[in-house]
Amino acid sequence: MIRIKRRAVSVLLLVALLMGGVCLYVARLARDGERWASSVVNRAVFADGRLAAGSLTDRNGVILMDARDGAARVFAEDEKLRRATLHAVGDMNGSIGTGALTVFKSRLTGYDFINGIYSREGAGDAVALTLDSRLQTAAYDALAGRRGCVIVSDYVTGDIVCMVSSPTFDPENPPENIESDARFEGAYINRAISSAYIPGSVFKLATAAAAIENIGDIYERVFECEGGVTIGGETVTCTGSHGSLTFEDALAVSCNVTFAQLSLELGADTLARYAEAFGLTRRHNIDGTETARGRFDEAEDGSPELGWSGVGQYNDTICPAAMLRLAAAIANGGEAASLRLVLRGGLEKLMPAATERVMSSETARKLSLMMSYNVERTYGAENFPGLRLYAKSGTAEVGGGKQPHAWFAGFITNEGHPLAFTVVVENGGAGAAVAGSVANAVLQAALAG
Amino acid sequence: MADFFSGLSSVAQDEIFSYITLIIRYILPIPAVLTVVRCAVSLLRRGRSVETWGYLSLPNGSRIPLEHWENIIGRARDADVHMAYPSLSRSHAAVIRDGAGVWRVYDLGSKGGARVNGAALTPGEGRVVKSGDLIDLGSVKLIFVGGGAEGTPAAPDADGPPAAGLRPGATLVFLTEFQLLLGVQACIAKSDALTAAVPASFAALIAVMWVCYALTRSIGRVGFEIETLAFFLCAIGLSITASSAPEALWRQTAFLCAGILLYCALGWFLRDLDRTARMRWPAGAVGLVLLVVNLLLGDTIFGAKNWLQIGGLSFQPSEFVKIAFVFAGSATLDRLFAKRNLLLFIAYAGACVLALALMRDFGSALVFFVAFLVIAFIRSGDAATVFLSVGGAAFAGFLAVAAREHIAARFSSWGRAWENVNTSGGFQQTRAMSAAAGGGLFGAGSGNGWLKQIFAADTDLVFGMTCEELGLIIAVTAVAAVAVFAVFAVRSASAARSSYYVTGACASASILVFQLALNVLGSTDILPFTGVTFPFVSKGGSSLIACWGLLAFIKAADTRPGASFAIKLPARRRRKERRDLRGGDGGG
Repeated sequence: MIRIKRRAVSVLLLVALLMGGVCLYVARLARDGERWASSVVNRAVFADGRLAAGSLTDRNGVILMDARDGAARVFAEDEKLRRATLHAVGDMNGSIGTGALTVFKSRLTGYDFINGIYSREGAGDAVALTLDSRLQTAAYDALAGRRGCVIVSDYVTGDIVCMVSSPTFDPENPPENIESDARFEGAYINRAISSAYIPGSVFKLATAAAAIENIGDIYERVFECEGGVTIGGETVTCTGSHGSLTFEDALAVSCNVTFAQLSLELGADTLARYAEAFGLTRRHNIDGTETARGRFDEAEDGSPELGWSGVGQYNDTICPAAMLRLAAAIANGGEAASLRLVLRGGLEKLMPAATERVMSSETARKLSLMMSYNVERTYGAENFPGLRLYAKSGTAEVGGGKQPHAWFAGFITNEGHPLAFTVVVENGGAGAAVAGSVANAVLQAALAG
Repeated sequence: MADFFSGLSSVAQDEIFSYITLIIRYILPIPAVLTVVRCAVSLLRRGRSVETWGYLSLPNGSRIPLEHWENIIGRARDADVHMAYPSLSRSHAAVIRDGAGVWRVYDLGSKGGARVNGAALTPGEGRVVKSGDLIDLGSVKLIFVGGGAEGTPAAPDADGPPAAGLRPGATLVFLTEFQLLLGVQACIAKSDALTAAVPASFAALIAVMWVCYALTRSIGRVGFEIETLAFFLCAIGLSITASSAPEALWRQTAFLCAGILLYCALGWFLRDLDRTARMRWPAGAVGLVLLVVNLLLGDTIFGAKNWLQIGGLSFQPSEFVKIAFVFAGSATLDRLFAKRNLLLFIAYAGACVLALALMRDFGSALVFFVAFLVIAFIRSGDAATVFLSVGGAAFAGFLAVAAREHIAARFSSWGRAWENVNTSGGFQQTRAMSAAAGGGLFGAGSGNGWLKQIFAADTDLVFGMTCEELGLIIAVTAVAAVAVFAVFAVRSASAARSSYYVTGACASASILVFQLALNVLGSTDILPFTGVTFPFVSKGGSSLIACWGLLAFIKAADTRPGASFAIKLPARRRRKERRDLRGGDGGG
């Protein structure tokens, strides 16, 4: 019998197989459970391949998307708000890959290891976005159907309070000719985070920062502009003949001659370093969504291309969200708060925002002063009533006989409204006049709130 | 339920129901874990409780107790009566008691030979010995001192009066609480269209459980842990059926009762070792005939030809053949030494596996094969022989027959379910995993899952469904409950009376555990998906009844004093004798 007893122990091998397998399963569950539960095969939260659970609201609880009753997903009640939030929320079919419906799928299913996807109300979870629907509709109205985007953030917390991309459509009644109609070309792209445009003069903020930190007597110098300068046999032109200019004046009138010469003096290497440090060329992660990469090609030292690249032309491109982040960093004393789209609640609210220092506070202060001077001297404070505005415009030549892209980027320091912004109107014309008025409309709406 | 709340508006009613479901979700694991832990502790905590059935007296006057019905005498360290005399063979002789209390001595092919009262023994043939007889093993001479009458050990268990660890009644109260909560949840989930079957089946389960307990106590037995674990698993099974197929609840409840009847009948039958041993051949034959009939007349349902229709009932003979297989495969020690017996068993096992392979019942064939390996190893002790000569050949043959397209496909998609989300290679597994993850640790509540919409959710995917509706804690607790059966079966070997009971318990436990492993790990893409059932939990009559049948073998190995109804212990007479014996000891 002792022999039999010893042999019987072999049964424990099977028990070991069973329990080992169960442990492996639990380990995999801990690692992949969120992916499994948020998979489209989960019928508790998906119907016909569409998310059918959870809800999205703006920062004040206004419903942007509601799929809580499982069968039917509804978007915001107001049609204008639906159009204004299309790219932030996503569409019915998941064609907008950066929409919250796609990116925050697992948050909307409400999964966590302990409770799974179920709460008392059933499957799914409510997710609040940082957006403010009032600003959304204001930006939508201000763009007035023109192609482009508006993106506004709180530069202390990093919360994106407004993000509108155009062209757009009503997700409840998507037009049937999206694919064929030229008016809807690129309607699935959220231009604020997934596009990179030629920046034009807004890039001069990076060139100016490099000059402040690398050219000791920059504020003592006087620059001469006769409407153009010949570099390597090619002329870098200005919008006019600016005459004698200080450094501050040169940024305010956006003098290409001055900044092309400064670029040559600084060198391609230095400019590329600043573009990189300011986050203009790399991707940024906004709560799981990667922004588009910008571009700054290092032209040969002494070449006209280097001059053009220093004024935001040549091969330069910047994603509007990256530009916003730079404007916010300047406003925030050189520290860029990570941009975010999901509203923090509860204890998370008390945590300080994740930040990255992109420039010294001294440089940020000097850039701020110059941006304020820009408004005073060139853009006209009367065009922005009530705003303590700091800004830089851009009028990016795109060639092909088309109107230039209009850029306007900056921030305001009004009490209780620490907002940074970037506006792009494609082929809109002059930056300050066109994009500036869109920015003004959105910021006025923010102040009115 | 619905009537009770009829005064309330339906919105308020839904609100109240949602809170009740929520609360139950989070407290349900407590009675579940308590039940299984209490059973496990009660079954496994106690050390080996030894029964002494007789003695061998040495010339120097010392006595060696015989602690089993089957005892090997020899020089080997693992002989039950171990004596380090060089003239003894490693396994020299066996002293074996039958169910009637008659002892026999067998020569196990020793070099020195064995004699009883001077008469030489023929190897393989037993010679009856009585108290006072002289057993002569060459250089060693022993006086045999026999035990008492039928079913009575010569000396009582050292642990004293009947006691089976933690009070089983208290454990049963926890289990009842679990079943009640589960029933309430199941009723709420169906509150829109509640049929009488849902509350009635849970009530029936609780009633049957307490009746079984009362009967056990009424015949003087105190062990109820094994049944408690089975009733725990059956409660989960009822919840699953109530969720996926409420119309089948009446039938499922009837199957449960049939299973318990089989359990009692088989347990009672196993009490008598001689009768059991005589029935081995008929049982084996019945099993084989069932398989052959199945093969000739069976219906192919869902890819496997393992269904048989008789009258209006359809059943899976292969489930019942498992019982016959264990019944016929287990053997008493005297047969263990006859090679012929093992060879016949190998042939029998081969026939069973082949028949199942021909039916394309890949999962069952694998379960039989593993059960065969366990039985063959326990019987022969020779792993190399078992695996290489027999297993290899049988399995290769089986694969040649069985490895057809769909099985090959299952192997090819194994471990890559998420790459085959919408093909047969991963459709069911990915749904099971997704639903299981969605349930978290506490589940969505009985009846609130969606996995039941998927084919075979309440059978092959039942682990996923349990995780989804009752949560990971209860699902793992259910797995642990089956593992407890196996650990108990192994532990029981140390105090077992006959190797028949050890083999039977171990083979049954192996079938349950391996089948469970295939079910759980197959549906979660850790092993190939073979489509076997979760013991006691999966919906289905044949499977449930057969599981109760297998459980009888485990119950028959429970030699804790006064614990098992499947073990003969004429209680009154025994108690009297024990008193006498104590009195005698005290006086001397």
